[in-house]
Amino acid sequence: MIEFDEVTRKYGRNVAVDRLSLAVRPGELFALLGPNGAGKTTTIKMLAGLLRPDSGTVSVCGRDVAEDTRLATRALGYVPDEAFLYEKLSGREFLEFVAEMHGMDRAAVSAGIARESESFRLTGFLDRLVETYSHGMKQRLIFASAVLHSPAVLVIDEPMVGLDPRSVRMVKDLLVSRAAAGMTVFMSTHTLTVAEEIADRIGILNGGRLHFLGTVSDLQEELSSRDTSLESLFLELTDRSANPTADAPSP
Amino acid sequence: MTDDLTFNPTIESLAGWTSPPSSEFLSPQDEARVFWRLRRRLAVSALRHAFSRARLRTTLIIVLSLVLWLGLFWLFVYGFGLVKIGIHDLETRDHMVRAVFGMFFAALMLMLAFSSGIILYGSLFRSRELSFLLTMPARVERVFIHKFQEAVLLSSWGFMLLGSPMLLAYGVVADAPWYYYAMLLPFMVAFVYIPAAVGAVVCLLIVYYLPGGRTHLLIAIAAVLAVVLVWCGWYVLTGPEGHLLTPSWFRELLGRLEFSERRLLPSWWLSSGLLEAARKVWSESVLFLAVLIANALFCRQLAIGTAARIFRPAFSALHGRQASRKRPQAAWIDRGLQGMTFFLPRQVRLMMVKDLRIFRRDPVQWSQFLIFFGLLALYFCNIRGLQYDTYHVGWVNMVSFLNLSVVGLLMSTFTTRFIFPMISLEGRRFWVLDLLPLRRETIIWEKFAFAIGGSLLPCSALILLSDVMLRISPLILAGHQLTCVVLCLGLSGIAVGLGARLPSLHEESPSRIAAGFGGTLSLVLSTLYIVAVVLLTALPSHFYMVAHYGDAARFISQKPALQWWLRFWLIAGTAGSLLLGVLATVVPLRIGFRAFRRLES
Repeated sequence: MIEFDEVTRKYGRNVAVDRLSLAVRPGELFALLGPNGAGKTTTIKMLAGLLRPDSGTVSVCGRDVAEDTRLATRALGYVPDEAFLYEKLSGREFLEFVAEMHGMDRAAVSAGIARESESFRLTGFLDRLVETYSHGMKQRLIFASAVLHSPAVLVIDEPMVGLDPRSVRMVKDLLVSRAAAGMTVFMSTHTLTVAEEIADRIGILNGGRLHFLGTVSDLQEELSSRDTSLESLFLELTDRSANPTADAPSP
Repeated sequence: MTDDLTFNPTIESLAGWTSPPSSEFLSPQDEARVFWRLRRRLAVSALRHAFSRARLRTTLIIVLSLVLWLGLFWLFVYGFGLVKIGIHDLETRDHMVRAVFGMFFAALMLMLAFSSGIILYGSLFRSRELSFLLTMPARVERVFIHKFQEAVLLSSWGFMLLGSPMLLAYGVVADAPWYYYAMLLPFMVAFVYIPAAVGAVVCLLIVYYLPGGRTHLLIAIAAVLAVVLVWCGWYVLTGPEGHLLTPSWFRELLGRLEFSERRLLPSWWLSSGLLEAARKVWSESVLFLAVLIANALFCRQLAIGTAARIFRPAFSALHGRQASRKRPQAAWIDRGLQGMTFFLPRQVRLMMVKDLRIFRRDPVQWSQFLIFFGLLALYFCNIRGLQYDTYHVGWVNMVSFLNLSVVGLLMSTFTTRFIFPMISLEGRRFWVLDLLPLRRETIIWEKFAFAIGGSLLPCSALILLSDVMLRISPLILAGHQLTCVVLCLGLSGIAVGLGARLPSLHEESPSRIAAGFGGTLSLVLSTLYIVAVVLLTALPSHFYMVAHYGDAARFISQKPALQWWLRFWLIAGTAGSLLLGVLATVVPLRIGFRAFRRLES
């Protein structure tokens, strides 16, 4: 469903992503962990079609994102770390725009908006201007817009930032249920416990390279064999002194 | 809309879905419709907001625009009427109008190309909206067209505001037929598209081929353009040997304007098409309109084609450049400020240095003012070329006061755009400031001191330059410097006081804060203040000067009462401007202090 094949991306002389090879299967919930500047956002932006790899290919549903960008983005729902919303539109108008861009017909748009506004508890304020929303409300609207067209792949950059505990629970349930229903979920996060709790597989990225790739049970085996916590293992794997290129700038 | 899409709202239906939907994308027409609907909704929402929550500002903008439009229309009707009365020969008159139109549209073409390029750079490569739109399955061409049309509108509204009264006035004076008026809009729109598309293509190519060096290249292009414009102005206005506005001067000027009438310039097609329509030669006019539209469509297609090929790679290349590693250092300018303000409390000095650093590290903030200051300084340096100083002393005095007003108005935009939002921006950082051993009043005093320092130095320097070049007497020069001090004190007081009284604490963008109700009120009050101060000092000074030279001096010397009255008016005007300056400084500051003390963090 998602495939990175020897993908490299540089910022000037800094290598942000270094020969990354990774495949995420349909229905899998994959979490990409890593410290700041590890290359997570660059990886995700290449997956969303915003950045092009310097070498290698990124494909979604068998489509090369750089070559068949429209086909690839059509199969994607994307929640960036700093999302954009039209402040002068109402939540409903924003969702309508996204749905129409994805080619949904009028009936499907109405049904989709009703379904997602219910799921994300947006119903009460869907007809108010986005500029009046709180951060959490905006974040929920962005999630709703990302899954509105029932994409095959959901890509999320730092999904829990700024959410209250109830919204965090909502998002976690959403990701698990969508993955269970066949949607491929690719998320980056700083929150180790979230990854441990909901991800099927975890990748730990540092200095643009994957330092760990395995299932949660692989990780738990690793943890028990080393008699350490996830946090300690993460710090060990992402030890900056061992990887001086880790501070490559993010765009 | 495509109806063959098989979207299923239930999650269960997603199971096993491993390939993207095979149905077709939105047709280009449907895609365009979706974008137009988005634009319409945004426009309606913005208008509704403008008329419900920013009514004063909106009304002011509409009224002032109307006044400006009508004023320009009247001015052009009067001007073209004078030309009609003064130049009886139809060919000469045509030649003159053609030269004026040609020059106006040629200069405009250059400015439109540059401004649309800059606007498109911001909206295509720097806006968060584009990052969002590029993740949608929209055609790159459509995304580009969406932003291109916005850029055309944003870069050309000034042309519409200035050009429409001129062209309508010409039609009225020349007794043009109905189709002249009907063709105005198509002519203007087709014309605007050409430089806008050229600007767009240049912008795309620069970012694609030089993603790292675009700033230097843009500065170089801007510098070259500025030099060309200044050279053109200099060449046109200062070359003629005859006295200003005499027939020989006029004939030579027309000869020098001929370079703007090259047959391959779209500006020539526009002016020729409109002049032919006004002369009732409709077939020639339609031909020029067809040439303009054909070229506009070609340029538009060229821009769209270029965007389709290189926009995404250019976007990726621009966002993939290495971040600057230059470390900010304490510059000599910071040390200079600390040295110059040694008499102020240490806390105030530290905050002033902080504000100066923020200001100078954001070129967007100061570059436009540098351009305006530079152009004004250039004009003042070349003021002798316009031979004002050889004319009547009263006129020289009037020009010097007009220069003072222009500098004052520039200062008012500076204080409104940069000083007014400062308190709002500090308000957002209250959690930091409240933890510091700092009295709230200190913040206001610091902003006031910063505003005076930032406005008085350039204001005084510019006026000194203007007065020296005009060979103004030392007494009037001293009076102008005093007026500068009064103006800067009042403008700073208004901006800081209203900034503290009407802050926008939830707004992050200084330009939006300045464009809000408080900023608009500050600008209006500042403008009224400048007009009042300049009138209070300029009018008595003007009559006083006139009364002491030429025939008037002989007449006045026989009227001691009138002499006394003129002297009294001069002193009273100066005293009145000083009093007004004190009021404009103290009253807003007091209001600001009171409001700022009550402000909750």
